[in-house]
Amino acid sequence: MARKASLFLADGTRFDGEGLNHEGLALGEAVFYTGMTGYEEALTDPSYAGQILTFTYPMIGNYGISGTVAQYSRACVSAAVMKRISRHPSHHDMKTDLPAWLDAQAIPTMTGADTRSITIALREHGSIWAALAVGEEALAHAEARLVAFARTATTKELVPSVATRQTHAAGHPHGPRVVVLDCGVKRAIIRDLASLGAAITVLPYDATAEEIFRSDPQAIVISPGPGDPADLPQTVEMLKGILGERPLFGVCLGHQLLALACGAKTFKLPYGHRGGNQPVKDLLRNEVMVTAHNHGYAVDGDSLPAGLQATMVNLNDGTNEGFRHRDLPVAAVQFHPEASPGPYDARHLFAEWLREAGVLKARS
Amino acid sequence: MAPRSVLVIGSGPIIIGQAAEFDYAGVQACRSLREEGRRVVLVNSNPATIMTDPEVAEAVYLEPLTLPSVRSIIERERPDALLPTLGGQTGLNLAVELSDAGVLEEFRVELLGTPVETIKLAEDRNLFKTKMIEIGEPVPDSTIVTDVKSGVAFAQARGYPLVVRPAYTLGGTGGGIVHTEQQLRETLESGLAASIIHQVLLETSLLGWKEIEYEVLRDRANNCIIVCNMENIDPVGVHTGDSIVVAPSQTLSDLEYQMLRTSSLNVIRALNVQGGCNIQFALHPERTEYRIIEVNPRVSRSSALASKATGYPIAKIATKIALGQTLDEIPNPVTGVTRAAYEPALDYVVVKIPRWPFDKFPLADTRLGTQMKSTGEAMGIGRTFGAALLKAVRGLDLQRETLSGNGLSAWRDEEIEAVIAQPNHDRLFAVAEALRRGIAIARVCELSAIDPFWLHEILELVELEERLRNGAARADVAVARECGYSSAGINGLVGERADKGSNGAAFRMVDTAAAEFPAKSPYYYIAHGEADEMRLPARDAVVVVGSGPIRIGQGIEFDYSSVHAAWALRAAGCASVVVNNNPETVSTDFDISDTLVFEPPGADEVHAAYNATHAKGVLLAFGGQTAINLAHELAQRGVRIIGSDRATLDMAEDRRKFDDALHRLGVARPSGIAAASFREARAAARELGFPVLVRPSYVLGGRGMEIVYNEGQLASYAEAAPPILPNAPLLVDKYLRGLEVEVDAAFDGRDILIPGIFEHVERAGIHSGDSISVYPTQTVSPDMESRIVEVTTAVARELQIRGLINIQFVIHEGALFIIEANPRASRTVPIISKATGINLVAAATRIALGQKLSHMEYGTGLLPKAPFTVVKVPVFSFAKMRGVETILGPEMKSTGEVLGIDYSFAGALRKGFIAAGIRLPEAGGRLLATIADQSKDEAIPVLRRYANLGFTIVATQGTRKALQAAGIHAHGINKIQDGSPHTLDIITGHKVDLVINDATGPKELNDSYRIRRAAVEANVACLTSLDTARALAEALESIAGPPRTLQEYRAAAVLPAVS
Repeated sequence: MARKASLFLADGTRFDGEGLNHEGLALGEAVFYTGMTGYEEALTDPSYAGQILTFTYPMIGNYGISGTVAQYSRACVSAAVMKRISRHPSHHDMKTDLPAWLDAQAIPTMTGADTRSITIALREHGSIWAALAVGEEALAHAEARLVAFARTATTKELVPSVATRQTHAAGHPHGPRVVVLDCGVKRAIIRDLASLGAAITVLPYDATAEEIFRSDPQAIVISPGPGDPADLPQTVEMLKGILGERPLFGVCLGHQLLALACGAKTFKLPYGHRGGNQPVKDLLRNEVMVTAHNHGYAVDGDSLPAGLQATMVNLNDGTNEGFRHRDLPVAAVQFHPEASPGPYDARHLFAEWLREAGVLKARS
Repeated sequence: MAPRSVLVIGSGPIIIGQAAEFDYAGVQACRSLREEGRRVVLVNSNPATIMTDPEVAEAVYLEPLTLPSVRSIIERERPDALLPTLGGQTGLNLAVELSDAGVLEEFRVELLGTPVETIKLAEDRNLFKTKMIEIGEPVPDSTIVTDVKSGVAFAQARGYPLVVRPAYTLGGTGGGIVHTEQQLRETLESGLAASIIHQVLLETSLLGWKEIEYEVLRDRANNCIIVCNMENIDPVGVHTGDSIVVAPSQTLSDLEYQMLRTSSLNVIRALNVQGGCNIQFALHPERTEYRIIEVNPRVSRSSALASKATGYPIAKIATKIALGQTLDEIPNPVTGVTRAAYEPALDYVVVKIPRWPFDKFPLADTRLGTQMKSTGEAMGIGRTFGAALLKAVRGLDLQRETLSGNGLSAWRDEEIEAVIAQPNHDRLFAVAEALRRGIAIARVCELSAIDPFWLHEILELVELEERLRNGAARADVAVARECGYSSAGINGLVGERADKGSNGAAFRMVDTAAAEFPAKSPYYYIAHGEADEMRLPARDAVVVVGSGPIRIGQGIEFDYSSVHAAWALRAAGCASVVVNNNPETVSTDFDISDTLVFEPPGADEVHAAYNATHAKGVLLAFGGQTAINLAHELAQRGVRIIGSDRATLDMAEDRRKFDDALHRLGVARPSGIAAASFREARAAARELGFPVLVRPSYVLGGRGMEIVYNEGQLASYAEAAPPILPNAPLLVDKYLRGLEVEVDAAFDGRDILIPGIFEHVERAGIHSGDSISVYPTQTVSPDMESRIVEVTTAVARELQIRGLINIQFVIHEGALFIIEANPRASRTVPIISKATGINLVAAATRIALGQKLSHMEYGTGLLPKAPFTVVKVPVFSFAKMRGVETILGPEMKSTGEVLGIDYSFAGALRKGFIAAGIRLPEAGGRLLATIADQSKDEAIPVLRRYANLGFTIVATQGTRKALQAAGIHAHGINKIQDGSPHTLDIITGHKVDLVINDATGPKELNDSYRIRRAAVEANVACLTSLDTARALAEALESIAGPPRTLQEYRAAAVLPAVS
């Protein structure tokens, strides 16, 4: 007999389904992901930390879990919701199936859910605190726990929960020196920088300027990560202090942090952008890229100070997708050039940045 | 300067490989151009299309799609630009021809969108391969050959199997997979003949790789998006048009999805496509490795499927791109808030299953390969693959409601496995049956190379069916609803009324955005066990039931009728709700109706749509027999049918009631007897006298109908036909070989409207769909026309018609007989509507809403004849169907039709023949005549006309003697058994331009058949009726007038005001 499972939204709405074998209660922000592939990457993306992730695509798990495309050492979502999970996946890269993996990761998961109705609820209400309960015991306490959680919940602990605590190295020991400030970095970013030949030093999000400069970096990448950029005032202050000292590139949360450091403002999107089909116009090249997104906050395009130039804009809702500093070597994008999951339209950006910064040789 | 007038080339008649999808694309293109303020000049020879409606383009030319014809249209219209990529392969090839012939340059016509160089680059196998290698994209190892010898040499070096792909063809015409040298030689010959540049690509086989397609759009600013990707369940080896296709891909990881996406963008950029493009990939099932199989630099069948699968209107956007707009500035018409630069996200699964015509062609080779054989397709949308699959299966309208059963349970394991290994149209059901029997998934996978993912999904459904068969739990019934089963299917499995129809149907929206953005498009499918999103129409709703997949006997004409019904409802202040499941058609475009329900037009779905929209009625008369067949079930469920109601529908279908009615009216019909056994049938035939027309009762579209000339033929018919049972008797009718006449009328209970009467060129005995038909009549006397009107009115009154009626008559020895009456739209409705300007469908729709003809603007009675003539000529797809008998008879075989219009009958005939693709041999042509003995007297005057036209006549001995006795010179040729050179040799050697193979009388299923097939393979016109031959002679003797628009013909016709 299948385990009962329910998703409770803080406004009192409830959606029912069936649980996998792992029983338990997860509390977090309910969000949805519209990508039609890439569930393994999404479930392991640190930016989903603290979130109950609903897949809008109804058939999830069809090609199993490969283990090779994970973006983190474990699943990062708090819980997962889907219409149908495949128990008989098929793929040459597959190590295990998704239900077994989710159970092993102890991720409460609901299947058989009316995910479209959940998505519409989130679109209309906006992102909302929620509880996902699998099993009788969890179901019995879910609503009370959600009420208490909704009163006190914050996003403050999210970045510390996924960011590295220790400095470590990656890439090529003798390549151009790049620091990655880890707010919850995806492996694909490290992979892409390494593939450009960089000698990468990964530092925690709360590293000091002194710690950062210890490796004498030629460029600094501020990584994506979960939650609200306002939760990291120290990082913003630190970035303010090093503006112009070394080339700075921000991605996603890194984009928001750099914006704050340069004097712009950020705000919470009604229900975020999470998927692989967001059209972004590169205003400098006058060309559209289809890009991977995973963010709940955005940079207020109208708040960009005179020193910042908007370079990218989202064609769906007009939000700012990128800027650069007019005088200093500072550039950032809201989307994910590293894709994983998502389209590769923007994968050239890391190389371009590093070339512009003089870290990589110009292409002949 | 931006073009002010744009020439759009359509795709011509429906043939296998080129169907209604180009009506859909063309209509979107024309509407899109007009939105942008352009004057549209349209040329298309297909009269059954919406795109050739005078409302769609300012200038509609129903003229042949040939270089001379389009050249004179260009000369006349002087369009500023030409849009070449929306008329299928026909339109594309014609654009290239116009460019190569210097016509575009001469008249300064700008080619919009994708440049000619790109078309050539993508279509020419050699150039394409070179380009792909240049940009580092992998293509299969291959060679280009222009003769058989070098092909054989390549095969000797690389081994078999090999794929033969002719350049510039559609639907894989002339190509195939070959395993032996003999197959290679044969296929190379047909392939080289099919290619307009006499070139084929011979490539190493990727059999068993996954076949994946991407639909891509690119604008002049180099912005690219993927509209959709699709995965074929049938691996490489079966033409994608004949494959079961799923959107989006299901078994591709994100890495693979993005790898192929990136490759698609590389390709479309390298080719400089400006507009839509389809790219087909082979993806290795065991490695991360792919090959590019093919690129179509135009809107295609796949893009129509992708448009309907996602809601993203590819043809519309491709047109705007062709006008120079960019994706980031074109608004997204689905959401209204976002831009066209957007990749749809789906939150459902789409499955397409082809519809094959093998039920019509008992002799056809049903094996599937690289040559497409299906005529149409059904699409299912579901929240899961299973639900989408079941809806597509049910939507084929083959009376199959489940995956297992369906008659395959009697097959032996070896037979099942044979079909799984060498696919035919039944493979899906064979797989289901194999799994039901417990044959292991690994075994099925080994035989078919179908990915185990799909097999597990099918197994789950089969297991559900077995549980339902073995006493279902309530929960299983609910699961079955969620999995897309109909109440009829569930009740059939459970053996009782476990499910009562439309309960619990929830309408979900197709919004391109997986609910991320609110959508404006009123495009829905049905889910069960979920929340409902139907927005109630603001006005009184009426449901229009569509006709499902295109098949022989039920073609695009019913889509035309459904679309006009929807428009007429809107004009009458109602909201139209269309229920249909054909992804190729105009009727399933979301901006045609007020509410589109993309579902099989079945009782459950129509009932659910009726309830959900609080409709005041359902219109069944426009969706062909598919819709008519729902009448009984819907009425039982309390659904209100408007127009001709159920009683009348029953009457026309029930022969005895119909006969009684005719008897009361004093209307004759060929004498007939219903026979409950073969013995009775033989007695009946003796009583009536041979020849007789035999058919099972309750036939649709002439299915299983045959003319038999003696007892031996009757016996073999009875053996091959479905068993004769007391409740399914065999109908034996006297066959009257007279002039066939056809009428479409609208009746409101008081008045009748008959825009015109058609007369057939071929005498009765050839299905009306396969006959050349002519409006206005040429040989029917005014008295007889009055009689026809009188009888039509009486029949319509007796049957209580409130809307359309189609009646077929035979005039035999001066007397009028009625053969058939249908209370619905017909194949001729779009033609008569176009010829006369009388919108019969609108009239019928308004009658169904309670209006009277006397209050409409169309007039009543038989309207005066037009001062010009239209000739409908059928078009066949015999070249795609190896082995099928091409002889014409009561069973319909044509897939499409063209129209010739001119001020003279002969001129219209001439245009019709040219448009139908019959290469008119000029003076000095060679004609092979093989005439049955009993027709020789009749044939002499016909052949004399050809001799007088300067034809050299070649004939077998008997015919030659008869000709010479009549003073007509003829060369002799051996019959096949007399040895070479014989009749087949001169056909395959292209030493004749025309074959007249009279097939009246008893069939000679040996030499005669081989001659007909040889003519098809060699692409030599072969006429099997002396009536057609006579008409062609008349056409050859005449000169057609210049092209004129439909609007001009209309303006010249003095049609009556309201009487």
